Amino acid sequence: MLDLLVIGAGLSGLTAAALAAQAGLSVRVVAKGLGAQHWGAGTLDLLGYLPDHSPVDKPLAALDSLPADHPLRQVGAAHAQRSLATVADWLAAAGLPYVGGAEGRNLALPSAVGAARPVYLAPAAQAAARLDDPTPLLIVGFDHLRDFYPNLLADNLARQGHAARSHTLPSALLTTRGDANTVHLAHALDDPATATRLGEALAAVVRPGERLALPAILGLDQHPAVVARVQAITGATVAEIPTLPPSVPGIRLHRALVQQLSRPHPRHAGGRVEANMTAVEFHAQDGAIQWVATATSARPLRHTARAYLLATGGILGGGINTDAQGRAWEVIFDLPLALPLTLPTARAQWFRPGFLDPAGHPIFQSGVAVNADWQPVDAAGQPIYANLWAAGNLLAHADSLRTRSHEGLAVVTAAAAVAAILVRHRHAPASAGPVPA
Amino acid sequence: MDHSLDECIKCNICTAYCPVSAVTDRFPGPKYVGPQGQRFRELDQVTAPDAAVDFCSGCRVCNEVCPTNVKIAELNARARAQIVADEGLPLRNRLLGRNELLGMAGSIAPTVANFALHNPVSRILADKVLGIAREAPLPRWSEKGTLQDWLRRTAGQRLRHGPQPDGREPTYGRGKQVVYFHGCATQYYEPFVGKAAIAVLEHNGYEVIVPPQNCCGLPMLSNGEFDAARGYHQRNVATLASFARAGFPIVGTSTSCTLTLKEEAPELLDMHDEASHTLAHGVWDIFEWLQQLHDRGELRTDFRPLALVLPYHAPCQQRAHRVGKPALTLLSLIPGVEVRESHARCCGIAGTYGYKTEKYRIAMDVGQELFSFVDAQGPGIAYTACDSETCRWQLEHGTDIPSRHPIEFMAAAYGLYDLDKRALA
Repeated sequence: MLDLLVIGAGLSGLTAAALAAQAGLSVRVVAKGLGAQHWGAGTLDLLGYLPDHSPVDKPLAALDSLPADHPLRQVGAAHAQRSLATVADWLAAAGLPYVGGAEGRNLALPSAVGAARPVYLAPAAQAAARLDDPTPLLIVGFDHLRDFYPNLLADNLARQGHAARSHTLPSALLTTRGDANTVHLAHALDDPATATRLGEALAAVVRPGERLALPAILGLDQHPAVVARVQAITGATVAEIPTLPPSVPGIRLHRALVQQLSRPHPRHAGGRVEANMTAVEFHAQDGAIQWVATATSARPLRHTARAYLLATGGILGGGINTDAQGRAWEVIFDLPLALPLTLPTARAQWFRPGFLDPAGHPIFQSGVAVNADWQPVDAAGQPIYANLWAAGNLLAHADSLRTRSHEGLAVVTAAAAVAAILVRHRHAPASAGPVPA
Repeated sequence: MDHSLDECIKCNICTAYCPVSAVTDRFPGPKYVGPQGQRFRELDQVTAPDAAVDFCSGCRVCNEVCPTNVKIAELNARARAQIVADEGLPLRNRLLGRNELLGMAGSIAPTVANFALHNPVSRILADKVLGIAREAPLPRWSEKGTLQDWLRRTAGQRLRHGPQPDGREPTYGRGKQVVYFHGCATQYYEPFVGKAAIAVLEHNGYEVIVPPQNCCGLPMLSNGEFDAARGYHQRNVATLASFARAGFPIVGTSTSCTLTLKEEAPELLDMHDEASHTLAHGVWDIFEWLQQLHDRGELRTDFRPLALVLPYHAPCQQRAHRVGKPALTLLSLIPGVEVRESHARCCGIAGTYGYKTEKYRIAMDVGQELFSFVDAQGPGIAYTACDSETCRWQLEHGTDIPSRHPIEFMAAAYGLYDLDKRALA
């Protein structure tokens, strides 16, 4: 029997699994696909805006001004800081250092279209494009890369008062392919000869005193070496700007976390991530989950664990689904959802005339309500299953897209849930079977 | 018609992980050819939708990483079948799909057949005339008879739970019986894998029943010849479903055959009748089955130490079972064996894909990830392990290190099998 079964391989699931494995728990992660980092920017946003859309300068200090039922408020600044620091340590050890603003301030970084986005911790290469640095930016793209438009980026940045110009290089510099995506180019740049060719081409176009900003393709396996090589050749700071998916920084983050959770421990051989294991069934008895089953090519495969952590994400990650009638439900355990009163029941009423309406969408506030121990609760506030915990964007009241808190929420609530699970495990020896109520 | 393509959220994760698209322009990636291309494939469309789909190797890595369970590989397989229906099938692909017939024909005079196929002149001819790559790792027919020959020869030595011919009481209790599906490769090329499997099962007290069986149909499915595959699958259902209905587990050592019986054939051929369903639910990959034996505490663990650092590659078709990697777990139980897990996506061969002249280079480039992993394990690696026959041949071709089925290591650890000679001890 496992100590912990994590359902979901997004940032919350992997963080939880890595923390639990580090504490000596045997862990398996089962997931429908390979997690959601592949379409994220690879940054760790904690809180960019308050629900009233006022910008946040110091996110940790602002957690206390969130509504009382917000999961980040429940975690609190001290715990949030500690768990983000732990993850940053892992990433640095994996050769993927993350940096933040001075005194815990948000960094303002350019998005793929040149908007300023508030980020708490960013990969060093992305932080190098910080917009509070007055050094002019030369945004460089590639002619056959469909997912990155340097002129659009530079125009938008210039419109906001940032010194920026653009240049387009031939994709043929990096690859002989006629059709290449970000991952293909990143793989190509892992080859030192290709990275050198890119560096020389950039050296020819960069002006003294400029920073270089490229789409986030500077190496997949050899990222730090690629950045170092290009910087050495050009003599300029080289930054990355995230692209449309597939997100190379997201893949780097995913890999680093999987590497962390796979580390052997005296008590186990390392956690495992099982992609393509979709949870389809579970059994509960006496108020506790007895097993969760995943679909296979024939019969369901049962996983038994002392504790279960639900980290399947919200409506974007797939943890919540809806139908044409506007019904919403949690997909694995059919847990009750806290639905905001503003969510219309008829799906036809879900739309607004403006794209990305500043008021956001009420569905993003729906989710699973938890108690102080991060256990899903019923309307009376009682845990639904004695050995079930929940973390990440599945949690109610988060509205993380609009407040730019998606990744931070995933990391810090995962850490909080694991802390609660560890407390329970300490009170229940391994031989005791499922964690008692 | 499959509507899982409506679940596609265009996240491109399949394109990021597709091992074929990573090495060639000729395959633009699963998203484009699968869920996106599918929208343009109307039912009444008379011309083939696009040629790129033929460069999908069918490895199913896209299905593995998809966060919304889009059946991308199946979409591609169906699209290829439509091309075959529209444009006909090249002789080469018809031949490669007829794994069983080739096996049977060569086994009539295997020495002659091996010479006829494996001499350089024939290989150049096969390359030029048929389009079968001259370097591709084609198998050799067994020159010591087929698995069925051996079973007939040794029938008297088989463990039996029913009444014994000489009236002796059976050694073990009744009810411990298992059906073995050997597949064509074990039958005609590698009977020793079947012998190792039967030895392991009998060592655990199981009577092994090997009923008549035929090709699972996968080579035809992956070459787009669905009608022929349907006949093969129907015949297997006719002979094997009754065993499943009677509660006998049907285990197989060829992980792609077991996947086909379980899921691929019923899914692609829309065969959802009761008998196909019963058979599908009675079939196990052999290590999937041994793992649940071990979970119940019933697997014998009287292993002799084998001093081996063993790179293990779970092939695409094994991963498509979605049962984890039981061979990794069970091989790790053998004292002295240090299993090194490959995370390579694919060896490249993908059944018959890498045999084709226009795809050989792609297959070798795809496999480089795996070959490099093996190389990185340092010198002194005596064997690699992999559950699929064509993948083992490709692994040997790409690394020059002998490759074995995991069951051969288990048989060897029980003291029943010689890994080097590939024969029962």
